[in-house]
Amino acid sequence: MGSEPIERRVSYIGDRLKGSRCPFCGKEYFRMRKYCGNCGRKSLGKMEDIDYFYEKGVLENCTIVREPTNRFTRLGSYIYGIISFHNGKVRIPGRLTDMILRNDESINLEDLEGREVVPRFRRRYSVEKNDIIPTTSLAFTFADEYYPYQEYKISELGKEYDAPGIVGYGVYVSRFRIKEGGMERSVPFIDEDAITAAVEAGKLALIHSGVDHKLVDKIYVGSESNPYADNPIASKVAQVLKLGEEERAEGVQGVDAVDTEFACKAATSMFKDAMALVCYPKNPMRFVMVIGADNAQAAPRGEPGGELDFFVGFGGAAFIFGKEDVIAEIEGWYSCTSDTPDFWRRDLEPYPQHGGRFTGEPAYFKHIIKAGRKLMERMNLKPSDIDYFTCHQPNPAFPARAAATLGFKPEQYMPGLYVSKFGNTYSGSSPIGLAAILDQAEPHKRIMIVSYGSGAGSDAYLFITTSQIKDKRSRQKFTVRYQAENKFLQYVDYATYRKFKEGL
Amino acid sequence: MKGKTAIIGIGRTRFGEHYELDPEDLIDEAGLMALDSAGIERKDLDACYISDYLLQVTNKIGLEEGFISQLLERNIPIERMRSFSSALLNACNAIESGKYDVVLVGGMEKMTDRWSKIRDNLMLLEDHWAYYAGGTPETSHELLLREYMKSYGIRGENQEKLMMTLAQISVKNHRNAVKNEYAHFQREIDVKRVLAARTEEKRILGLYDFAPISDGATALILASSKKADEYTDSPVYVLATALATDYISYPSRSYRAGFIASRISMEKALKSAGITLDDIKILEVYDQSTVLEMTSLEDLGFVERGKAWIELYKNFEDFKGFYRLGSREVYVNTDGGLKADGNPLGATGGAQIFEVVKQLKGEAGQRQIKPDGDLLFGCVQEIEGFGTKVYVHILGREKSGK
Repeated sequence: MGSEPIERRVSYIGDRLKGSRCPFCGKEYFRMRKYCGNCGRKSLGKMEDIDYFYEKGVLENCTIVREPTNRFTRLGSYIYGIISFHNGKVRIPGRLTDMILRNDESINLEDLEGREVVPRFRRRYSVEKNDIIPTTSLAFTFADEYYPYQEYKISELGKEYDAPGIVGYGVYVSRFRIKEGGMERSVPFIDEDAITAAVEAGKLALIHSGVDHKLVDKIYVGSESNPYADNPIASKVAQVLKLGEEERAEGVQGVDAVDTEFACKAATSMFKDAMALVCYPKNPMRFVMVIGADNAQAAPRGEPGGELDFFVGFGGAAFIFGKEDVIAEIEGWYSCTSDTPDFWRRDLEPYPQHGGRFTGEPAYFKHIIKAGRKLMERMNLKPSDIDYFTCHQPNPAFPARAAATLGFKPEQYMPGLYVSKFGNTYSGSSPIGLAAILDQAEPHKRIMIVSYGSGAGSDAYLFITTSQIKDKRSRQKFTVRYQAENKFLQYVDYATYRKFKEGL
Repeated sequence: MKGKTAIIGIGRTRFGEHYELDPEDLIDEAGLMALDSAGIERKDLDACYISDYLLQVTNKIGLEEGFISQLLERNIPIERMRSFSSALLNACNAIESGKYDVVLVGGMEKMTDRWSKIRDNLMLLEDHWAYYAGGTPETSHELLLREYMKSYGIRGENQEKLMMTLAQISVKNHRNAVKNEYAHFQREIDVKRVLAARTEEKRILGLYDFAPISDGATALILASSKKADEYTDSPVYVLATALATDYISYPSRSYRAGFIASRISMEKALKSAGITLDDIKILEVYDQSTVLEMTSLEDLGFVERGKAWIELYKNFEDFKGFYRLGSREVYVNTDGGLKADGNPLGATGGAQIFEVVKQLKGEAGQRQIKPDGDLLFGCVQEIEGFGTKVYVHILGREKSGK
C-alpha cells in the first residue's frame, strides 16, 4: 500500500465501515453501492448511505491465526472471523483486537462465536517507517467486555445558555496496564496510537453529548505523540467521525480541523478558543471539539530521558464546546507562559529529554500555582468557594502538592486525580481529571482545572456545572472510574509494554 | 452438433521447487513435451493461450505473450489468462468457432521465488478486504470448515470423525503421489503426522491439510476434431468447459459451507456434455485444502450436502482407491491432487487435465485405474480465488455422451 490514492479510498470505506441500503427492499451492502440487485433500476440514485461504525455486530464464525501474513506478524496470534450486522443483512471479515493470545494457548472458538462485538478504530497493519499509517475499523472487541456497546443517539437541542461551556465529553483509556510500585499505567494495544485514541475519545464525546456530528464546525487535536511529524491527526478524526457537513461528491467534510502542540497543554489551551468561536459575533460556530490524546513516549530506562519511562501513560479526552445544552458553563480563565525548556524533543529524535529536578519548582509548580492563584484572584474566589480542583498529573506527588499549595483539600482534588491509575497521559492528563470530576459532580458546582505544558505554561479555567449534567450522565457508561476499575483490565510485563508502545 | 475440441498432446514438468529454472524454462519443457506427444512442430500452431496468476509479482514479468512468441519463434496470436482453465475455455471457444485448428494451451508459475511474501500476494488476490482484516489464505478454509460443521450440526464424536476423514484425504493424496513421477511430494505420510501438525500449530487445520506452493508448468495441444484425426487415432475430447463465478467476498455469500459456483458450473457442464454423474469414473478436484476435497464432492453433486464427511469416513474404514458414494464409484485425485502433486497456480489445471487424459487413454502406468465398466469420461474442477471462479471440464474418449 503506501500509495496515497489507494490508501485514501480504503480508509474512506474501512475506517467508518461504510455501506448502502436499498430504501425499497432494505438490502444492505458493505461498501457503497449505487444500485440494488433486488430492485434494479428503480433503486438507481436512491440508495441510502449507512455505516456500521456505531453499531454492534455478532461474531458468527472465527478461527485463530497463528501465522499471519507479513504485515500482521507483529500482532502475534489473533482471532479472525466473520462479523454480521443487522441480523445477517451484511457480513464482513474482521479481526478481534485487544486480546493477547499466547502461542501455547488453546482457544475454544465456540466460546467466542455468537457473541456481540463492536467495531474499533485501529491501525490496520505494519508498514515501513516512511509510509502512510493505514487504519481500519475491521477490528472488533466484545461488547460485554472492557469497551461496551453504546448507542449514538442524536438528541434534539433544547436550552441555549448565556455563557458557552462543555456540552459533552468522552475519555478513552486502553484496556492494558502495567503495574509497577504503587502505580498503574495505561498501555496501548499494539495497534493503537495517539490517532486511534483521539478518534475513540471523540466518538465517546459525541455519544455523551448527543450532538449531531454534522454540527461540529471545528476540531482541535492536541498531542505531542502524533506518529507523523507532518500530517494532522485532526483530519483523520474529522473524516472518521464525519464532523461537519459531508460534501459527498468530493468526499470532504465541511469542518475546520487542526492539530495543536504545546507539550501537555496542547488541548487545554484551545478550550478558550473553542468557546470564543461559538460566541463569534458574526457566523458563530455551533459546536467545537477539542481533543487531547497521547501515546506518551519515553526512552528506555537507563538512557537519557529514560526516567520518564516510569510515568508515561496512554489515552485521551475529548470535549465538545457550545452554547446549547451545556453541562458546565465557563466562568473564567487565565493563562501564563514563560520560556522554560524543561522537557523537549528535537526534530527526528524518537524520545523526549527532560530537565530532571528543574521540571518541578521552576517549571511545573511555578506555572500551575501562578495560574491557579491569579484566576481565583481575578474572580475574587477562595479555595473554599471551589468544589473541585484538578491539574496536570505527571506523577502522583506533584498534583497533590500543587493542590495543597493552592489551598485545596484532598476531598476537592482527589476525585480528579487518576495518575496512579493511568500514568501521565500528557495532553489528556488534566482533561481526564476534569472528565472524572464531571462524571460525578452535582449541578451548580464550581470546578477549577489548571493544565501544565512544558516549555512552559499553564491554562486555568473555572467551570460551573448546570442541571443538565445529570440528564446526560446516563448516556455514558464508559466513565473514567469504569476504565480505572474494570474487571477486564489486562496487566502486561515491561517487555510487552515497550513492544505495545512501539506499535505496529 | 458442432465438432468438439480434441486434446492431442500433453506435457508437464515435475512440480516442486525449481530454484535453477526461469518460468520460460519451465513452460518450454512442458510445451516441448506436449508438442512431441502430439507429434507436431511449433510451426503447426495457429495460436497459444497461456496462463499464470502471479508472474508479474513473483518474477516481474509482464507481457508473457512476448517471451512465448520468442520461445516459439512465431508471430501467432497469443493471449494470457490467469488460470489454466481460463486458457483452456478460451482456446476451446476459438477452436469450436472455427477460428483456429491447432492451439497450445500452457500454464506456468514460479511461486517459490517469492517464498516469504507469497501469502500476502495470494490473500490480496483472493479478497483484499479480508486481507486488510487480517485474513490469511488458510483462514478461509478454516472458516469454511467451521461453517460446514455448524450448518450440519457436526459436533463431538462426529466432529472428530470429520477431522479424521480430512486427515485421511491428505494421506490418500500423498499415497497417490508416490506413483506420480511429476508430483511435488512423492512420499507417504500417515494420519498421525497430519493430526500432530494440527496439534503442534494449535490450529484447526495444519500443514498437511493444505496444498503447498510450487513451481511448474503444464501444456496441452488442442485441435479441432477434424484436424485431430490427422494426428491421432485416440484423442481425448473436451466435451464441456463450464464456468461460474461468485462474490469475491466469501463472508457476503449466502452459502458458506461450500461453493455455489461449483454446483452451477457442474450442472452446466453435464448438460453441455450430455452425460450424467454416473458416467464420471475419474475426478480431479481442486483440493487447496483437505476441506475442499470433501466439500467439492458435495458441490459437484456426488454426495448430498452435509453428508460427505460421513460417507468418506466410511470409505476410509476400508479404502480401495476410490470413493464409493451411493451407487457410484469414483476415483478422486489419482495424481495426488494439489496436496501432493503440487499447486503452481497457473499450471495446476493443466496437471489435472494431464492426469485425466492419461487415465482415459490407459497410459497412467502404475496409477492406472481399472473401474468396473468402460472408462470413458472424466471430470476436472479448477477454482480461482476462494470459490470466486469455478471451472468444470468434462473430458471423454467419445465425442459425446450416450
